[in-house]
Amino acid sequence: MTEITLEVNGVTKTLDVEPRRLLADVLRQEFDLSGVHIGCAHGACGCCTVHLDETPRLSCLTFAVQCDGSSIKTVEAMGGPSADHLLQQAFKSEHGLQCGYCTPGFIMTLAPFVDEAIASRRMPENDEIREAMSGNICRCTGYHGIVAAVRKAIGSGLGENA
Amino acid sequence: MKAEQPRHVGARIQRFEDIRLLSGLARYIDDIRLPNMLHLNFVRADIAHARIVGIDSSALADIGYPTWVFTGEHTAGLSMKAHQDYPEMQYSEQPLLAEGKVRFVGEPVAVVLAEDAYKAEDAAEHVMVEYDSLPVVGTMKQARDASLPPLFDGWTSNVIVQRQMKGGDLEAARTAAAHVIKRTYRTQRQAGVPMECRGVVAHYNPADRLLTVWSSTQMPHLVRTYIAEELNLPESRIRVVAPDVGGGFGIKGQVFGDEVLVAWLAMKTGRPVKWIEDRREHLVASLHARDHEHTLEAYVSADGRLLGLKADITVDNGAYSTFPFTAAGEPGMVGKVLPGPYDLKAYEATFRAVATNKCPIGTYRGVARPSAVFSQERLMDDIALELGMDPFELRLKNIVREFPYKNVLGFTYDEGSYAQSLEQMRGLLAKDIVDATASRASETTRIGVGFACFIEQTAHGTPDFTRRRVPIETGYIAARVEMSPDGEATIDLGLQNHGQGLETTMAQVAADALGILPENIYVRHGDTLTTPYSVGTWGSRGGPLGGGAVHIAATKLADKLRAIAAHLLQVKADQIELANGKASVRGNPGNHIEIRKLARAALRNVDQLPEGMTPGLEAHASLDGPRDGSYSNAVHAAVVEIDVTTGKMKLRRFVVVEDCGTILNPLVVDGQVRGGVVQGIGSAMFEHFIYDAECQPLTTNFADYLMPLAPEIPDIEVHHIETPTPLTPLGAKGLGEGGAIGPAAAIANAVANALGVGVISTPLNTNALWKLSQHIREAV
Repeated sequence: MTEITLEVNGVTKTLDVEPRRLLADVLRQEFDLSGVHIGCAHGACGCCTVHLDETPRLSCLTFAVQCDGSSIKTVEAMGGPSADHLLQQAFKSEHGLQCGYCTPGFIMTLAPFVDEAIASRRMPENDEIREAMSGNICRCTGYHGIVAAVRKAIGSGLGENA
Repeated sequence: MKAEQPRHVGARIQRFEDIRLLSGLARYIDDIRLPNMLHLNFVRADIAHARIVGIDSSALADIGYPTWVFTGEHTAGLSMKAHQDYPEMQYSEQPLLAEGKVRFVGEPVAVVLAEDAYKAEDAAEHVMVEYDSLPVVGTMKQARDASLPPLFDGWTSNVIVQRQMKGGDLEAARTAAAHVIKRTYRTQRQAGVPMECRGVVAHYNPADRLLTVWSSTQMPHLVRTYIAEELNLPESRIRVVAPDVGGGFGIKGQVFGDEVLVAWLAMKTGRPVKWIEDRREHLVASLHARDHEHTLEAYVSADGRLLGLKADITVDNGAYSTFPFTAAGEPGMVGKVLPGPYDLKAYEATFRAVATNKCPIGTYRGVARPSAVFSQERLMDDIALELGMDPFELRLKNIVREFPYKNVLGFTYDEGSYAQSLEQMRGLLAKDIVDATASRASETTRIGVGFACFIEQTAHGTPDFTRRRVPIETGYIAARVEMSPDGEATIDLGLQNHGQGLETTMAQVAADALGILPENIYVRHGDTLTTPYSVGTWGSRGGPLGGGAVHIAATKLADKLRAIAAHLLQVKADQIELANGKASVRGNPGNHIEIRKLARAALRNVDQLPEGMTPGLEAHASLDGPRDGSYSNAVHAAVVEIDVTTGKMKLRRFVVVEDCGTILNPLVVDGQVRGGVVQGIGSAMFEHFIYDAECQPLTTNFADYLMPLAPEIPDIEVHHIETPTPLTPLGAKGLGEGGAIGPAAAIANAVANALGVGVISTPLNTNALWKLSQHIREAV
């Protein structure tokens, strides 16, 4: 057992964990965050993406002990229980989700991309948007609605009537 | 529906279920955690065909924590029995845990339970299984080789079932034909891959003798019935719950042995038991799909009339028959649907499923039809090429135009837009066809245009299953609609939602009948405790049958509301309209009463009810599919660009013209079509489950089993034609699967067009395309 301290969605906890325990499992169980989903457990589908010190990271390929002292954010902290983050609302209006299982991973992967596009005041091409989500697999939507959602979110951030 | 009422059906309403899915509040199977729970890990066969010599779990004595081990000896006699009562079908069962033999890599041999999932996985590695290997049956050819011993005792060969369907005079068609075109087409083995793997949690409460089973399933009631029958329990004491389900695509539309096993273990151990499938298990041992070979022989007149079709169909079923659609389902579906949208007068199909030492095949989006349409539509292009005809002209010459149409096998097609959709697609592709022709001069880049025209039998009803003698037995969906005293409504629905949006669309349907808003209707599903018995969500039945049942039940309830309103407003019931939360007198909208007041009267202030009316506001309806189902139709087209120097293919366009009858919610319909298309693109270009000669699986993770990612996929263009069917209450036909049916054929036709070669198999990956473009490189 190793003692680690994690700040997760603004809450700091110190806990003893086995070194082999995955960050995904610790977030799901010790922090009760059901929005962290495991799709493949080998780093290929992106379902488990969370922000580790503000950077998207695959929590199924990360041991919790590697994150001692880090700050972690999961989908639960993006827009709260009403999912009112710009990108979450765009996923809803553009039908960027169906079964919802891959969705938290897409949100966590794409939110920084959306922020960056808004900050640089530029609407990316669809090819760039598709490339930005190339580490995430969605089996339901065919990606169409997700691309539209990213455009919509960036558009609203840029103040356009997207 | 009266014109002056706002219609919610057909409106592009955003989904009500989205907030919980987007916020992380959804609860999938792995989110079910119970006190004192045991975690299950399977010991699975790592050899494809072998006798089990012994299982040694003695090493667990020293592991330092409690474990429980169960093998086939403990579960002896418990099995999955999936048989169609045909004299031609050889009987087999799959034991819950292997008994005596294993027949594919991944087959469950033993289970280990521990108090922590990590520990259970560690412990499973301490269980040693000794095998005595047997020769594998690894290919369709080997399965039909009489010199290889059958997989099951008592079988005479490895052909599980072989049957025939025919209609018309094939001999006359052959004699009259100016052209005979014969081809063999092959579609590869695939996995279905919902992003959430499967999983089961079970808990037995002796206080009320209730067994609760949570499963990531599309068919909770059928799981309940199977468990009850296999474990000999009263069905009233079993509750099956499908929590949020992370995709199914038909893969979760089966009853699995592990669902029975986890339930049995919860009763046996007296503790809650949880099993969560990992991705390797899912790919290797849940369920596979496709894996067909079709030899087709078409008899065609000099002017391009399709006179007759002869088909020989083989499906590599893998080792076991799955419940409830069985090993006979997949080849039987091909035999049934090959006549397709064409006016064919003579037809004969021989179809068989063969057993091999591979994971069993089962239903996956489209069920046999992606393979059938691949063959049918490749054949049409091959005929067009041989006759020197335009592929649109050939199809338009043979397309069914008069409805209802009784096909060569006696199936009746309801109204569709077959010719219209072909014509529309031809217009949409005009510029691409010019570009493709212009690219023929290029030594490096070829453009090709291909399309596929197909119909899809949806909303299958009981007669269809009775004819097939399949254990599913029936196809109805039931709904119960109830209004509470505050005027809000609840729908308890026999469908199960795993992404289809039915918490929204079903509310839209009921809202139109009840005159209240969809957001005031709560749709509950997936729990046998609260929902009426139904077959679940599969086979493109949610919209037509689920929606139909909700419409009928809600209309019954609306009739009662109208009767109460008429009594209170002193008019006749047929003068009352329900809309915008009010019951109004037609032509006199000022004379109205709020629907919530009617609900209050029906449930609380019952002294206000008409004399003799019973209190209460609930109605039940169940709706079975039409005799031959209802036929959706579509044309899919692909425009491809192939770099002949590397074999790399880019999809320039993918276009759909589809007709699913009445559209309940365009947002949802477009999503279903596009998602299905991209799965179909996966079948066409990427996905291939590969075994080696010893039936060892080679594609056991997402680095080896490739699926479409966003950069490979173009925007999918969708065009609708709406031809409502008279066979369902709302005019809706099924549409969940159609998207996945056309792409393999359309893309293969585009490749054939681009490269000027015959394309006979999928997947059309870079490797395959490099080979197919060899003649162009050599000509340079």
